[in-house]
Amino acid sequence: MATTTDARPVARTIFRRPAGHTGFWSWITTTDHKKIGIMYGYTAFVFFILGGLEALVLRIQLAVPENTFLSAAEYNAMFTMHGTTMIFLFVMPVSAAFFNYLLPLMIGARDVAFPRMNAVSFWIFFFGGVFLYTSFIFGTTGPPEGGFAAEVSRLGTAPNGGWFGYAPNSGAQFSTGTVLDYWSLGLQILGLASLISSVNFIVTVFNMRAKGMSLLRMPVFVWMTTVVAFLLLFSIPIIAVALFMITFDRQFGTLFFDAAAGGDPVLWQHLFWLFGHPEVYILILPAMGIVSEVLPTFSRKPLFGYPAVVFAGAAIGFMGFGVWAHHMFSSGVTPITQAAFGLSTMAIAIPTGIKIFNWLGTMWGGRITLNTPMLFSIGFVAMFVIGGLSGVTHAVVPADWQQTDTYYIVAHFHYVLFGGAIFGLFSGLYYWFPLLTGRMYNETLGKIHFWILMLGFNMTFAPMHWLGLNGMVRRTWVYANEAELAQWNMVVTVGAFIIAVGVAVFMANWMYSKRNGPKAGMDPWDARTLEWTIPGPTPNYNFGVNPVVTSLDDFWHKKYSEDSEGRPVRRPEADTLLAELEETGLNPPAPIHLPAPSYYPFMVGVAIPIMGYGVIYKDQAFGIPLALVGMLILVGSFAGWGVEPLELDEDHEEGDHA
Amino acid sequence: MADIAHVDGPTDEDGPVDDNHDNGHGDEHGGHGDHESTGTDNRKLGMWVFLSSEFMFFGALISNYLLFKGRDFTGFDRITLIYPIELYDIPFTSISSFVLLMSSLTMVLAHDALASGDQNRTRVWLAATGMLGMVFVGGQFFEFSEFIHEGMTISSNPAASAFYMLTGFHGAHVFIGILMLLSLWGISRRQGGLTEDQGLNLELVGLYWHFVDIIWIVIFTIVYLIP
Amino acid sequence: MAAHTEHHLPHPTPKQYVQIALFLAVLTAIEVLLYYVEQGVDAIGTSVTAPMLILLALIKFFIVVAWYMHLRFEKAIMTKFFVAGAILALVLYAATLIALGAIAIGA
Repeated sequence: MATTTDARPVARTIFRRPAGHTGFWSWITTTDHKKIGIMYGYTAFVFFILGGLEALVLRIQLAVPENTFLSAAEYNAMFTMHGTTMIFLFVMPVSAAFFNYLLPLMIGARDVAFPRMNAVSFWIFFFGGVFLYTSFIFGTTGPPEGGFAAEVSRLGTAPNGGWFGYAPNSGAQFSTGTVLDYWSLGLQILGLASLISSVNFIVTVFNMRAKGMSLLRMPVFVWMTTVVAFLLLFSIPIIAVALFMITFDRQFGTLFFDAAAGGDPVLWQHLFWLFGHPEVYILILPAMGIVSEVLPTFSRKPLFGYPAVVFAGAAIGFMGFGVWAHHMFSSGVTPITQAAFGLSTMAIAIPTGIKIFNWLGTMWGGRITLNTPMLFSIGFVAMFVIGGLSGVTHAVVPADWQQTDTYYIVAHFHYVLFGGAIFGLFSGLYYWFPLLTGRMYNETLGKIHFWILMLGFNMTFAPMHWLGLNGMVRRTWVYANEAELAQWNMVVTVGAFIIAVGVAVFMANWMYSKRNGPKAGMDPWDARTLEWTIPGPTPNYNFGVNPVVTSLDDFWHKKYSEDSEGRPVRRPEADTLLAELEETGLNPPAPIHLPAPSYYPFMVGVAIPIMGYGVIYKDQAFGIPLALVGMLILVGSFAGWGVEPLELDEDHEEGDHA
Repeated sequence: MADIAHVDGPTDEDGPVDDNHDNGHGDEHGGHGDHESTGTDNRKLGMWVFLSSEFMFFGALISNYLLFKGRDFTGFDRITLIYPIELYDIPFTSISSFVLLMSSLTMVLAHDALASGDQNRTRVWLAATGMLGMVFVGGQFFEFSEFIHEGMTISSNPAASAFYMLTGFHGAHVFIGILMLLSLWGISRRQGGLTEDQGLNLELVGLYWHFVDIIWIVIFTIVYLIP
Repeated sequence: MAAHTEHHLPHPTPKQYVQIALFLAVLTAIEVLLYYVEQGVDAIGTSVTAPMLILLALIKFFIVVAWYMHLRFEKAIMTKFFVAGAILALVLYAATLIALGAIAIGA
């Protein structure tokens, strides 16, 4: 029950304010960054499986020439959803899972700047993803036949315009039916979630660091998170406008991309890639951040050239805004445009290269432990270099004219996104497993996972380089029966199934070990950063006492000094320190306030897709009412949120917002 | 996750004891503002960050208009060859612009009134800002209806589409601003005044409102005044 | 622990706010005047008035941001974020319009 104070009113609520921190409802109403991170992670992983299944279906179709397993239409839907799912519903949210869980811990904070906004980002993402996937059930690819009921009872196909939705194909004339409305509205919803997150993380990093943690004492992972947040902040609005434009073209009769009516389809490409290129750096930078934490820990050496790595990360982010038209070299842009973007694309290899050398420098001369997270991080460096090299070849414009729309490009981006981002993410999942669960995963299974994945991944994507150069085109459901293409495609398909086996091993290891793995204890990796100064599983309130730092890798320096040759020497007080940290971590000396749970973020998340359905079905009887219902829930939720205090204890005046 | 007895819940009778005066959520008010914080309240910093992203949003819409406004659509399908520039009523739009500009004045006077502690005057200026905003939006509606009456709809041609999209989204932003202003006004009336903390919210709404105004400054010049 | 807004930052007075508003109104009137001059006088074309109009708009923009939005009295970091967004938008969209042929620079 709220107590009244002088100027503040009693917040009258229709439903009792949720208060629990355990149990099912505590997840629905949580504002705790760790729970939110966990939900992001599991949801993203479900989508990873779905995206993987879509890939396997594609590979079955392409295993032999001129296959008939999928129709052309089904194939289009499968590759569209595979790409859309992997990018927007797996890599981005799983990165968000890492940001959410770790960012406050790494900067010594108790939560993010805006806990309820954090929750709303998750729920908007969750219901946005669900909304997108209901297109499999409700989506149509043709004009409505037999009325709405008949339409729904047919199993529709999914969005089929590619993850990049090029106009004019995605416009009303060439894509009748509703699947591309699900796509454009779904992506719009997902983008909103990311935009809200980005504001949250930027304010958190700039305002909530522990005492003594200047910006250049933050872990590299935090820096990469910050750069990603800025990339999202400035690129999501662009795709938002583009998606509004295509939605309006489809629904309200605008003519932006309708070439016959004087519109400009190339405008879509510009707007999409203005977003799309920063997007790929959004996909890779978190993994680079993870690797920058894992390599030093298991080399028992500080990151080589920390300022250079930070600066390079920021440079990649910044320059990432200046290369977008390299996706358009064959779209009819002028030679000067091609030359300018070819140049800028080559330039962006420089900061990337700086990072690679710094990672190698970190390992050089270190005492290496080749456990699972380390293997995945080293694997990241190797696979990412391969992907980066093929990327540089795309920067050579005339070469790109040959490579574009072939499997050579598919090879490139899977090497950087799978061999890069996903390997990095797996590295992080193993690395922080003990922090999350308090237990250790099974190291043997972890290594098996790694080697199966290395085998399967390279079997799948290496042949795509020469398949592409030999003429196999993208996004086509069959290829001709030419000797070279057929046998390598079979190899690729087998490789894809091997990847699936590897993922299954990971899942088994995770699900088993989180309950039954051996207890990990404090600081199981003898690590360097603040998140390891608290016991796992992380307590609700994070730190028992707010940490104070005096240097980069402050925790490491509290445990280790250096001998005359710079090698670490364990301090005598290190073990006592760990015991003390565990004690204050489990038994904080003073009661700690946490942001209270809230229903409203969940309700906002539910409301927005309802409005989406209303827009799609606006010509049906129930469409506009549905949109209005959604809007009502939305406005009501904002109103409730606005008057709800951030914390339950109203002796404090602040906390009215966010 | 460990269930820790010390975490506060609604039935906790101990009352708050805050060892480092941070309420468990870091230095959100940025008290000392040196190395680990900017010294500005989280919410204010957040609003500035958000507004900087809005440049990308409106930039795209403005570019869209700039792309299409000069194109010749003769001979294309389903075109009504009427361009926005032919229909502009500059005196009318000038007055609209002036109204919005004055609403920024009333907004900042509301903020000033609250800082001086005059809750009544704050409400007066909040209401004035909201009303001026409504006049602006009303003017937009009127302008659009005139244009439609003269034959330029959102489907007439890409330039028309771009015009309506740009000014429409700007108007939607103004509308959301009006809702926020009215909410503040209503809360102030219900409570007898705004608390200091709610005063920050007024400041944030003000920032948003001024931003929408400066976007209009750009739109008015580029779209209406420069042929 | 009391919440606090930044009491210590200088604020313009209401009178100064009104003066600023009047100045903005005058600039707007000049803008409209320039529009009509361009329309009415053959010798003066948009190549003359357009840069002036843009300049006037920028001055109004700057004044509202600096004084009404209080940016000149705030911590520098907010100016940096705000300006970063503005410049990024300007550069990216200018480049896009050039690439699309909407702005002719011989590219």
